[in-house]
Amino acid sequence: MIEIVGLRKTLNGKRVLDGVDLDIHEGTSLVIMGPSGTGKSVLLKHIVGLFDPDEGDVCVEGMSVPSANGKQIREIRSKISYVFQNSALFDSMTTAQNIQLGLTAEHCRKVHALTDPLVLEAISHVNLEPEVLLLLPSELSGGMQKRVAIARAIVGRQKYILYDEPTTGLDPVNANVINRLIAQVQRETGCTSVIVTHDVESAFFLGDRIVLLADGKVRASGTPDELRHSNDPVVQKFLHPTLEEKTIGG
Amino acid sequence: MKPPSESIRSLGHWGVTTIRTFGSAGLMACATISALAHPREWRREAFVQAKAIGIDSLPLVLFVGMLSGSILAQQSGYQFNDLPMWVVGQAVAAGMLTELAPLLSAIIMAGRVGAGIGAELGTMKVTDQIDALRTLGRDPVMELVVPRVVAGAIVMLPIVIFANIIGIWSGWFTAIALLPMTTTEYIYGVQTYNYAPAVIFTLIKAVFFGITITFTGCYVGLRAEGGAAGVGRSARNTVVAIIVALMVLDVILAPIYKAVS
Repeated sequence: MIEIVGLRKTLNGKRVLDGVDLDIHEGTSLVIMGPSGTGKSVLLKHIVGLFDPDEGDVCVEGMSVPSANGKQIREIRSKISYVFQNSALFDSMTTAQNIQLGLTAEHCRKVHALTDPLVLEAISHVNLEPEVLLLLPSELSGGMQKRVAIARAIVGRQKYILYDEPTTGLDPVNANVINRLIAQVQRETGCTSVIVTHDVESAFFLGDRIVLLADGKVRASGTPDELRHSNDPVVQKFLHPTLEEKTIGG
Repeated sequence: MKPPSESIRSLGHWGVTTIRTFGSAGLMACATISALAHPREWRREAFVQAKAIGIDSLPLVLFVGMLSGSILAQQSGYQFNDLPMWVVGQAVAAGMLTELAPLLSAIIMAGRVGAGIGAELGTMKVTDQIDALRTLGRDPVMELVVPRVVAGAIVMLPIVIFANIIGIWSGWFTAIALLPMTTTEYIYGVQTYNYAPAVIFTLIKAVFFGITITFTGCYVGLRAEGGAAGVGRSARNTVVAIIVALMVLDVILAPIYKAVS
């Protein structure tokens, strides 16, 4: 279980998170939703210790992330996979080597990436052909890069997978493919998924529970149905933006 | 004109930034040194980096080494025309070994290798690849910094040796072609120079310069921010920082050499 208590963070003089409290239960799929710039990705980065909070705490299975030492943070990160918004694949490595990075360094030294059964299993899991393993990230389309990033996230069979805007920058068809893939991974591995998105359709498709962040705080939280029927005007405005707001928000 | 309080504030800000920079560079240096104890983790990548750094840079370093030996021979021949001509051989050997070969090679490496490392790691930083490494449980210092620093330290040795050899050779070629002197005089001049400590000094300089170039490239690159513009800034700042660091290091090493030799 991941517990976030009273999390506050200021970046470049702006209060991005202003007392966020959140529990993420094992085996569930939590979607963190909200307009751009409300600290969704910052919140996610606190969970893996890429940011230290100004105040508050983040605990992964009882271990405090901000106060963890080097060994403890490695232990925490060994339980968590992170899919970055722009995939963050390593340019100089082949797809196979990129996926194998999700395994331990010791394993990578012993087994060649191209023939690694775990890598082959992961690539088939994300519905890509083994031929892709030889390619560099620059030779892949945006949707394929995303799938490789997800393969890297699942290859180590971590308990928690964090997705940062997994469908941003993809066309609707590819976005749909990625959403289905995330749901499939969640179903087949039983992992805990935390998905950050500002796409309402994706949120309702993927989330067992949805949290809406606004002004650095949890504005609303509940099942997709509870949120759909919420009386909060901020929630309704986010779920049903006017045409003008949609255009401005991109 | 700025009011005094604003100037004091700017000075204070600059002081704090400088202390922070040196502090974080010091921490990264400590992490690099402690990571050296695990060669299994970095040796394969160090070999890859050494090949990339050395082979790519060698032709340019040799070309500049050749030119500098030739210039040194001509200038010393023209300036010391009241002295015996074998002095030219001594001046070329001394100039190349103690200063020109290591420093010019290092400046070329700063432009080619240092800027390349700064841009490469800067790109990795702004595209979240460094954060991705961390979340994958890997240490960016172990994976990226140590292999480059080790490769830089090792590769600079043959590069500076070759630069010295070609510089002294081109000095000889220039001397017999343009100056009124013979091969015997030139060789006599080179031999009269007490070159044993200079050879050791040039090799020590090579290692220090190799470490400075690669470490600074890594440090500046890992602190890049702000997309493509940030990567450009990172490459530029790397070259400036390396050249300043090389000059400071050179000033510090010169009296040490004098005392030892």
